[in-house]
Amino acid sequence: MSEKLTVGTADPARLLAELVERKVSLELSTLDLGFVALLAARALQAGLASFTEAQLTDAFELTCQTMDPSLDNLKLRATHAIRRLREQRMLVRVDGAGVVRAGEFALSRLASAIVEFFLEEEVLTRESLTLLTRSLLGSLSEILQAAEVADSDDSWRIGVTAPLRVTVNELISGIERRQRGLDVQQEEFQREMSKLLEVDWFNAIDRCQTLLDSTAKTLRELNEILLRDTHLLLSILADVSDVALQRSRPDVEAVTRRVMEQIDRIAAWGSARQRAWSEYYEYVHRYLRDIVRLDPSRALTQRLRSQLSEHAARPFALTVAAAPPLRLLRSVLPPEPPLPVRRPKREKEEEDDLPAEATKDPLGELEAQVTELLLQGVNDLAELTARVTADLPLSEQFLAAGRVAHFVARLARPPVNSRRPWVPVNSGLVIEEWRLKKANVGHE
Amino acid sequence: MSESQFRDLGDAVSDESYPDIDLALRRGRHIDQQDGPWYAYLLDAVAFLEPFYRRFGAELVHVNDGYFYLLPTSDRLGKRHLSVPEMLVGQTLALLYLDPLTVQEGGSVTRDEVLGHLASVMGSEALIRALHSKKKRVDERVAQEAVRQKVHDALRRLSTLGFVELLNGEQLKLRPALLRFAESVRGADSPAEALAKLVAKGEAVLGDGEAGEADSDAESPEGAAQDAEE
Repeated sequence: MSEKLTVGTADPARLLAELVERKVSLELSTLDLGFVALLAARALQAGLASFTEAQLTDAFELTCQTMDPSLDNLKLRATHAIRRLREQRMLVRVDGAGVVRAGEFALSRLASAIVEFFLEEEVLTRESLTLLTRSLLGSLSEILQAAEVADSDDSWRIGVTAPLRVTVNELISGIERRQRGLDVQQEEFQREMSKLLEVDWFNAIDRCQTLLDSTAKTLRELNEILLRDTHLLLSILADVSDVALQRSRPDVEAVTRRVMEQIDRIAAWGSARQRAWSEYYEYVHRYLRDIVRLDPSRALTQRLRSQLSEHAARPFALTVAAAPPLRLLRSVLPPEPPLPVRRPKREKEEEDDLPAEATKDPLGELEAQVTELLLQGVNDLAELTARVTADLPLSEQFLAAGRVAHFVARLARPPVNSRRPWVPVNSGLVIEEWRLKKANVGHE
Repeated sequence: MSESQFRDLGDAVSDESYPDIDLALRRGRHIDQQDGPWYAYLLDAVAFLEPFYRRFGAELVHVNDGYFYLLPTSDRLGKRHLSVPEMLVGQTLALLYLDPLTVQEGGSVTRDEVLGHLASVMGSEALIRALHSKKKRVDERVAQEAVRQKVHDALRRLSTLGFVELLNGEQLKLRPALLRFAESVRGADSPAEALAKLVAKGEAVLGDGEAGEADSDAESPEGAAQDAEE
């Protein structure tokens, strides 16, 4: 069984691989969502912990009658819908009777979260934020006291780690949920403002102004509370971390650090939203002042549109400044001149050391040697080359071999059609073998 | 009216912001509130800078819509006129700036929206003729690609002038200076009269302005392919 992964700590690649392996997917139609929402509402109103199959079918039929009265075969559709929701872990069977009798079902955590997102608008307000942060302060103060007196693993776990992981986490999640709700609400505001202007234009100014001002006030208040309270929360958590450090409890330190990061994120959210809304506020104010108020009949847009469509017939161009860039002379050190191309010189031999034969023609000598060997009856180029180059250094043998072949080709008649295998000569030299048929020494 | 922090021109020019702002203005940049400290500096120093720039043959213009720019009134400073692609794209951006649907996004649009709006106002054929007019026979795919490239280039040049800000990816932030493109249709005068007044003030010229960087089709590979076909 694979280890349960958590989003905060898992390696992203492993997380994704796990989802692929489990073939996780979610597909809900509006009807399915309506069905789940109705179940959630009935559970809340009637205090039901679970639903029988009959209750599920009844709820589904009511959903269809409300949302799409044209549907038929409702019982069959209900069976399919319940199966779909079970497959997608929205409904879970909560009894252990198996096939003995019809089961009882409850909405899963996933289903509750989806219903909550779409229907229950938990928006962050001054009251909800104050309540949540005060609860957090209270919980953390108790945790600090528990940490100061904890003297065993159990007391640390029960008094410090577990409350940090569970209670504090729930409270912080509550704030984050409501932050997301406020974000959604702000998007709605922006959309509403755009629609008001589109429909009413000049007459929408006051309503837009009111929307802007109310949201700005809300955000300002929330940011003030967040800044004040997060400072206190972080201070208490720092004290808990200090105690954990003194008592050598790295596990508690790690949990405390994670909670501090979450609170930092909450505070950062407040500042970021304040900044973003300020920019938006300023932009809309400018729009209302410079565009809507000065053009109550929206004639400007129509005239500009005509100007654009007729630009080809009546072109014009705006003038802008275009001073050439200033020449900024930099003090640059000239590059070093490149080194001249040279080749290493060999050491010159002393004149006294040169043999007497050095003054003679080396090519002529080579040719004489080849001629001599041909006359002696040597008719293999390989043997000829080996004898001529035997006393030469390796660096000169290749050149000499070429010259030997040249002389042999001139003095004798190497066969054209016969195969010419490659044979080694001395060490390091390989040549094509010529088997000479007739020497024609002295004639070219 | 609050007093300026500067006592005289020397003070204003000695401010550490001045060199960058001066260079930006001379290169045609329009400076608005979104430029933060630059705009604040110009508000503070405008009384000293106006006569200063006049000596260079330019007017430091402050528009009530909330932006500054330098308008050359002689040839001493150097000036240019926006090209056809820049004018078409600039007017489209101005239309989007006026559109209340843009309010929802806080004045941001995408490149695709700009292109779509331009094509819907002008018509695709007219747009291609305006931006890709050199060839008699036009391969549609090549022409559309050329138009997209010219719009892209125009957006880039308009952003250096402060009319629009290029954000990450496809997003563009519209800026108040775009209302310059609507000056000729803002007042009570007829568009022709208003345009004549702008021309008289040196704000605009009649005709096509300057050729853009990519206006010459012969320089582009597509243009070369077209030449080969013909």
